[in-house]
Amino acid sequence: MVLNLKNPQVETRDQRLGTITQWDGRADQLVRDSVFTYGCSKGCDNGGRRLCEQSSPFQQASMCAEHIAVTNATIIQESVVVQHSPIGCAASQSFTARYYRDLAARRGWKLEDPKSICTNLGEQDMVFGGVERLEQTIRDAFERHDPRVIFVATSCATGIIGDDVDGAAKRVEDEIGIPVVTLHCEGFKSKHWSSGWDVIEHGILRRLVPHAPQRQPDLINVIHLGGPDVFSPLLNPLGLRVNLVMGGNTLERLAQMSEAAATVTMCFVLSYLATGLEQEFGVPEVKAPLPYGLDATDNWLRDIARLTGTEDKVEAGIASERARIAPELARLRKALKGKRGFVAAGAAFAHGLLADLRELGVDVDSAFSFHHDPTTDSGDSQQDSLGHLVDVWGDVPNYTVSPDQHFQAHAALQRARPDFVICRHSGTMAVLAGRMGIPVLPIFYSNDGLGYEGLLTIGRAILRVLPRKRFYDDVAAHSSFPYQPWWLAETDPYAAIAEPA
Amino acid sequence: MLSPVTDNLDASGAFCSSPGAIEQVRYGCSLGALASVIAIPGAVPITHCGPGCATKQFHALSGINAYQGGEFHVPSSNLGNQEVIFGGADRLDELIRSTLKVMQADLFVVQSGCIPGLVGDDVGSVVRSYQKQGVPIVFAETSGYRGNNFTGHETVIRAIIDQFVDVNDAPLQHGLVNVWSLLPYQNPFWRGDLTEIKRILEGVGLEVNILFGPSSAGVEEWRAIQRAQFNLVLSPWLGLATAAHLEDLYGQPFLHVPTIPIGAKATSAFLRQVVDFAGLDRARAEAFIAQEEKEHYVYLRDFASFYAGCTSQYRLPSTAIVVSESAYNLAVASFLVEQLGLNPGPMVISENPPADFRETIQKSYRALADGAGAEAVFEQDGHRIHELIRQTDLTGEVPIVFGSTWEAALADEIGAPLVEIGYPCTDEVVLSRAYVGYRGALALIERTYTTVVRASTMG
Repeated sequence: MVLNLKNPQVETRDQRLGTITQWDGRADQLVRDSVFTYGCSKGCDNGGRRLCEQSSPFQQASMCAEHIAVTNATIIQESVVVQHSPIGCAASQSFTARYYRDLAARRGWKLEDPKSICTNLGEQDMVFGGVERLEQTIRDAFERHDPRVIFVATSCATGIIGDDVDGAAKRVEDEIGIPVVTLHCEGFKSKHWSSGWDVIEHGILRRLVPHAPQRQPDLINVIHLGGPDVFSPLLNPLGLRVNLVMGGNTLERLAQMSEAAATVTMCFVLSYLATGLEQEFGVPEVKAPLPYGLDATDNWLRDIARLTGTEDKVEAGIASERARIAPELARLRKALKGKRGFVAAGAAFAHGLLADLRELGVDVDSAFSFHHDPTTDSGDSQQDSLGHLVDVWGDVPNYTVSPDQHFQAHAALQRARPDFVICRHSGTMAVLAGRMGIPVLPIFYSNDGLGYEGLLTIGRAILRVLPRKRFYDDVAAHSSFPYQPWWLAETDPYAAIAEPA
Repeated sequence: MLSPVTDNLDASGAFCSSPGAIEQVRYGCSLGALASVIAIPGAVPITHCGPGCATKQFHALSGINAYQGGEFHVPSSNLGNQEVIFGGADRLDELIRSTLKVMQADLFVVQSGCIPGLVGDDVGSVVRSYQKQGVPIVFAETSGYRGNNFTGHETVIRAIIDQFVDVNDAPLQHGLVNVWSLLPYQNPFWRGDLTEIKRILEGVGLEVNILFGPSSAGVEEWRAIQRAQFNLVLSPWLGLATAAHLEDLYGQPFLHVPTIPIGAKATSAFLRQVVDFAGLDRARAEAFIAQEEKEHYVYLRDFASFYAGCTSQYRLPSTAIVVSESAYNLAVASFLVEQLGLNPGPMVISENPPADFRETIQKSYRALADGAGAEAVFEQDGHRIHELIRQTDLTGEVPIVFGSTWEAALADEIGAPLVEIGYPCTDEVVLSRAYVGYRGALALIERTYTTVVRASTMG
């Protein structure tokens, strides 16, 4: 599959990958259906079932691509983001500012608020268009903050009224002499918010990565969702330097992506960028399954070593890391023995956490994934993270795909009745689990579960939240959800909604 | 063309629509009024909008704003390409039908966002068909480009009054009041504040439809709106449109008190004003006031030893800078200036109040402490707000900032402590804390001077 970087609008993941957001069944069935539909290089026999998305007439508020694209543009240093939208889309500014300041504290950056301005379109602009206001706001952003790049994000409203955002960006860019990068992220265009990752990565690839790079053979790009650098301790022993990108970075880091020896992506949901770097600049993408669990981490390091010519160092590093964590891992496995876990996260990230839990000896037969990509941009079957999970760790009998729908999560938890939940996107799932009397570990920084140390990080964090059952049980006994009794008892997330009210 | 960032006057003159580009956003859009629906016990919003709209509004107004929590499992049509092209009325119909099967509520409020407004969905007729079947459901047009969550709040209230509250011949109940005051969730302290307002009004002999929050009886209070003797608008402007509408509908009179009282002086004066207006038993009211004041002034007496004794040790502030929406701005500024004896610094009102009310609001500031020199500035863009504060001459003064998270960096820059009182408020966890009335004033003093002491002792 070839990524089209000529068009300022990224092709949505729904179109490129056949992404679905609604499904329920056995994980091994989802793997077989996906592979049958989107191409199998393993010669598997699946009985000929194509991937078939489920649906529900009832839906609850979800998230949109604009949120992801704008957040991840805003946390790029020395940038200003102009949200070309009515004021509501910019409500996320306060969250993004909090996120940026927390990242800055953890990563040692200057503590300051990130810069974003909303054009604050009104009804009049809906009628006459908002292009003039956009152009002036871009100029003002430049005057106010002297940024090195300005991102312009679209909204549902500007998409519908048809403002020529690219034209405006180009005109002001010619005036002010810094890149003005458009992000076409109208929320209605994709059924899943993770398309926002594609939007920002598309913008970066098109505009912020220079051609004709000089190779840095010891530099490896690490594309992650955000958080502390847990990668240098893994890769420095191989003599490699980490170029940590996405989740907040400098423009220099983005620019030198094309100079790196290889790219690894810590969640294949974000792999548009890695695939693009390979396609446009010949930087090879490490396709080995993600380093969740001991064996996967070993193999991931070996694959990196192979691509970077550092095989001589890798086995010693693996042995010493395994030895280092062994006593603590044994303690955690003992403490977690017999516990039943439940994972709720986005696709590849969920698959990683499932592997971690199983490596830690936790029983986990239920998972809740916010979407499902039947394939990846590389099309390489090594990146079939769910298939890999099922091959290595066995099936997940109750595997639900749902875009963070509260009512479906409730049913899934009623079915699973776990001892704890580990989740991402804490908005719906964390509080739901807590209020059902289930201790919950929300993962804000998604690097927590990676590599050898990640097993310890996750295991210890689970043990820290288990005693909170005392609090959650108390709250659960004294609060309820406004669902009809039949739904409160329902254990099938996709049960037909036909009962009388 | 005038710069939309440098020209803060909305050329369109439209009601709270767009005052130009905004950096450091301080309110949500009309759809954000879904928070007001969630604030009514027993009510559930149904949002007809894009997939991220409702979540973004509620996460901003509640999740990251003092971590208020709240019942967020809002049905949403999550509009996509298909509805943008072919219209979304059918999808909304399907959503409402399935919502009634899955959820239970005393009242559903359908709110539309930008997309249905732009593609022209006839949401009203979809909702009316359910109303005809007796479903407790109303429709409020809250397209994001039509205003902010303040105006959206009044739109939602109006929808409930017009489409849900029956006009009937229920007898008027003397001593029952409907209270229209702080904007739920936008103000992080609304729950505690409304509870305190209800408590003191009950103290002087009223029965109170507080309408929002944990101390409200929920939808049944809304049904009782018509029976009330009068409406109390306790804010500079928000709620006035509602009160005027209720006056038209039911002939209900309203009392408008722009300044929410903080502290004994202001609260007692406020209660006496209410008692006079409503013709309540004065002796009973005075007994309540006396009891409240007795307790209150014991605490103020004790606080005086800190206030007097630690003035130089902890560099107690002398000038208050207030950046907030108008209701809290005026309330907090009045308390600090008139009751604690601080000098008024810049008072920046950040929610873009309708032009008609600005002069009246300004008069309230000019009247503070016999003309202490207070002056309101109306500005919603963070960059310009901070420039204005930087340019203020504070020679010889020790400033303190009452504002939002956006003021944190500015407060550091000018060497002032920051007390977060408004949206966005990311560094406070707030549950039942109140800052108004008798009890709230003490909490505000505690928070303020704890912040001051910590700034002094911990750098």
